[in-house]
Amino acid sequence: MEGLIVWLIITLVKILVILGIVLGVGAYLTLVERKVAAHIQRRPGPMVVGWHGLLQPLADGIKLLTKEDLFPRYGNRFLYNLALVMALVPATLVFAVVPFGPEFKVFGVEVKPILTDVNVGLLLVFALGSMAVFAIALAGWASNSKYALIGSMRKAGIVVSYEVVITFAVMGPIILAGTLSTYEIVQKQIEQELWYIWLQPLAFVVYMFALLAETGRVPFDVQEAEAELVTGFTVEYGGMKFGLFPLVEWYIEVLSLSAIAVVLFLGGWSPINIPFLGFVDPLFFLGPLSPFVWFILKVSLLFLFVLWLHWTLPRYRIDQITETAWKVMLPLTFVNLVLTAVIAPVLWG
Amino acid sequence: MPWVKGEEFVDLKQRFEGLEIEEKPTLTTLQVPKAKLIDLLKTLKEEKGYKLFLDHSVVDFPDKRPRFQAFYTLYNVEEKKRVLVKTWTDGLLPSIEKLWFAGKWAERECYDMFGIQYEGHENLVRAFMWETYQHYPLRKDFPLEGYATEYLPSLNETLWGENLQGLMNYDRMHTQVPTLEDLEITERRRLQKKAQIVLNWGPLHPGTHGTMWFLFDLEGERVYQCDVILGQLHRGVEKLAENEMYNQFLVYTDRMDYLSALCSNQAWVVAVERLLGIEELVPEKAKYIRTMMAELQRINSHLLWLGAYALDLGALTIFLYAFKEREKLMDIIEGITGARLTISYTRVGGVRMDLPEGAVEVIRAFVKRFPKELKEWETILSRNRIWLRRNVGVGVISKEDVYFYGLTGPVARGSGVPYDLRKFEPYDAYGWVDFDVPVGESGDVYDRYLVRLEEMRQSLRIVEQCLHALEKMPKDAPFFAESPDPKKLKLPLDGIGLKVPEGEIYSSGENPRGELGFYIYSTGGVKPYRVKIRPGSMYNLCVYPKLMKDRVVADAVTILASLDPVVGEIDR
Repeated sequence: MEGLIVWLIITLVKILVILGIVLGVGAYLTLVERKVAAHIQRRPGPMVVGWHGLLQPLADGIKLLTKEDLFPRYGNRFLYNLALVMALVPATLVFAVVPFGPEFKVFGVEVKPILTDVNVGLLLVFALGSMAVFAIALAGWASNSKYALIGSMRKAGIVVSYEVVITFAVMGPIILAGTLSTYEIVQKQIEQELWYIWLQPLAFVVYMFALLAETGRVPFDVQEAEAELVTGFTVEYGGMKFGLFPLVEWYIEVLSLSAIAVVLFLGGWSPINIPFLGFVDPLFFLGPLSPFVWFILKVSLLFLFVLWLHWTLPRYRIDQITETAWKVMLPLTFVNLVLTAVIAPVLWG
Repeated sequence: MPWVKGEEFVDLKQRFEGLEIEEKPTLTTLQVPKAKLIDLLKTLKEEKGYKLFLDHSVVDFPDKRPRFQAFYTLYNVEEKKRVLVKTWTDGLLPSIEKLWFAGKWAERECYDMFGIQYEGHENLVRAFMWETYQHYPLRKDFPLEGYATEYLPSLNETLWGENLQGLMNYDRMHTQVPTLEDLEITERRRLQKKAQIVLNWGPLHPGTHGTMWFLFDLEGERVYQCDVILGQLHRGVEKLAENEMYNQFLVYTDRMDYLSALCSNQAWVVAVERLLGIEELVPEKAKYIRTMMAELQRINSHLLWLGAYALDLGALTIFLYAFKEREKLMDIIEGITGARLTISYTRVGGVRMDLPEGAVEVIRAFVKRFPKELKEWETILSRNRIWLRRNVGVGVISKEDVYFYGLTGPVARGSGVPYDLRKFEPYDAYGWVDFDVPVGESGDVYDRYLVRLEEMRQSLRIVEQCLHALEKMPKDAPFFAESPDPKKLKLPLDGIGLKVPEGEIYSSGENPRGELGFYIYSTGGVKPYRVKIRPGSMYNLCVYPKLMKDRVVADAVTILASLDPVVGEIDR
């Protein structure tokens, strides 16, 4: 009985911490993005609200929340609102299986910094990822707008194509680790003293491509291409409802998929890896905090990489994107899969 | 002068009865009866090599019978010669749409503005006004203020009715404006739905770069057919021109192609100077200043094009880079002329004022650093794989299309037609400076992009040479034309008293968006009788429905931005 209560308390605390981190960080990433974009474009970015614009996300939030709630005539109100839920919930749920660090002890209780360490964690991630397409299709359909419809169809086409690619891309690390649990995959990498990126560079590149495509980042942001479709499927949403879609797509999803990339390819919370020899930790002085810092560092680096691409490149056309997915990416992942299947037994046979 | 000699057409005299050849110092005209018109145009196009269609319109003479004098301007690209074909009609003309597609749009405009009917025109709909509009605005009997039969009242009028006080209580004369029903009727006239959905792209849409209204008939994302509805920005500039004095009309040229105001100014004053016959009297300094400012404006305009184009293709950062440089140019132009957008710097006979102190140094500094910036942007874009995949092979215009659709400017040069008025008919200082005309090879969007980038470099070269010449001149060199006889020719700043002799002229300048031509018909006096403006943007746009056929929506922005139309010039 006591064990159950302790478990319940721990889980509740974990949920609150993760939700707080995800939504709070998600909001502040808007500021990060604006600052990064501004400096890439040789301008200061938001400077007025707070020191160097630190309170800007707050101001934006208040502005969006106090806006009039518009609804398109002849739209479907139920689906219109359902789309929002469908977008937010699966994207946030992914964090349930993201391991933030190694096990540690608080008041004599063993705590794993992961909400649930299910043994099919990765399957859950990609199942939830596939749900995103419903949100977008519903948003486009319920808005009763041609622009929104075209935008959502484009996005659906991309997500369906890249869902296949991303699933095959992560097959390599799964074979190397021999498990689907995210926590176990990191543990394996630490045991084998090897980040899987060294054996799976191809899979990593393909994964990053798919990440950009799934989250609608440049060069794959065709679904909201503001020059041709205004903003695609969000065109009929207003106020915070409008703000929610970019928040989910551009920040929470990028964050969750980056975290999964770190788990799969970059050894999760482990410090810098020298293949097959061991780990070097320049942050040793942080003591038990060091793994968490490493994890956050790696995720931030991937996020900044995504931003860097976003504010530099032009965008592809929809037919070119899906063509790349089916004709280039997918065969590459197949090759990778076969190679891994051959190498893995040789290494640890 | 680029006008053809009359003797070249002597052999046509036997074939076309009633053909009159007239050679004036300003232009050469062939006058022909209406029945022979199509045959003559066909002969000119196919035998004489006048392949490039420039312009067509009519001049209204309410007292004469027949009432309308129609003219067609043609250009021989190989021999660099122009000819003007004229005919008289009472309201019915044969259509030239089989010879030149651009003629179709010109005819629609004439139908819209003068009520001329065209035999054999496939789709004679109004160009700018809506379908339910009853009147023909450019006829001489159309009042300048329009007809006040129906209008949308302003908010003040709705609230206060006749009780408006003071300045608000003016005599309320409104031009008729279209209602929503009118627009729906117009839309249905323009496009018969054949595929899945009709997408209204515009009039207020960020991708159209202005208030243009496109209709896409979509099959999935593929464009099955496409049409353009113009007239959202129609202000009747040609009607205004008939009611303003020559120097007063200068300010309207700013507002046509508002992105290249200085070039339009220059084209207009050069046209008037040629009509007056004082082109030689304009001092050298004024010519150099005008040329230099026009080239700075060309860079300015191309920078805006580059920024908007990259923005359309998703490269957001180039937009801000380009605008940063453009801002510097705007500051330079503001410092010299006092205005940033609508400039009106040139005057008939010179420029409004001399270069201020330090202007030369500032421009020199800009010329020095700009190529570095340009190179940086090219590093990001020109060899970028995504950029290439979006641009290469999209929107291909062949050489024949250039002639058939009457394309000019960078669009024509992108297809390998070296048609540049600065070379063919040098005005101002263009004859004295050295520059190259870049041309493309395949005529796709990417070639047009490269041509425009190279044009910026060539403009810099011209600016540098102008600076060099200006620096050598004495500081008090005249910048305004002075008549040898002070009593005879006065060119005061406000333009009053600028008496222009009887005559007509077609003169054009090389705008960043194509040839901006002015056909001025003067019956003497201070106001022109008729001014027909040849808008480069409009004829460049008329190839758009053809290019969009069987392309996807994402290419719509690419192709449109590469044609680079400005609505102020299209609609006038």
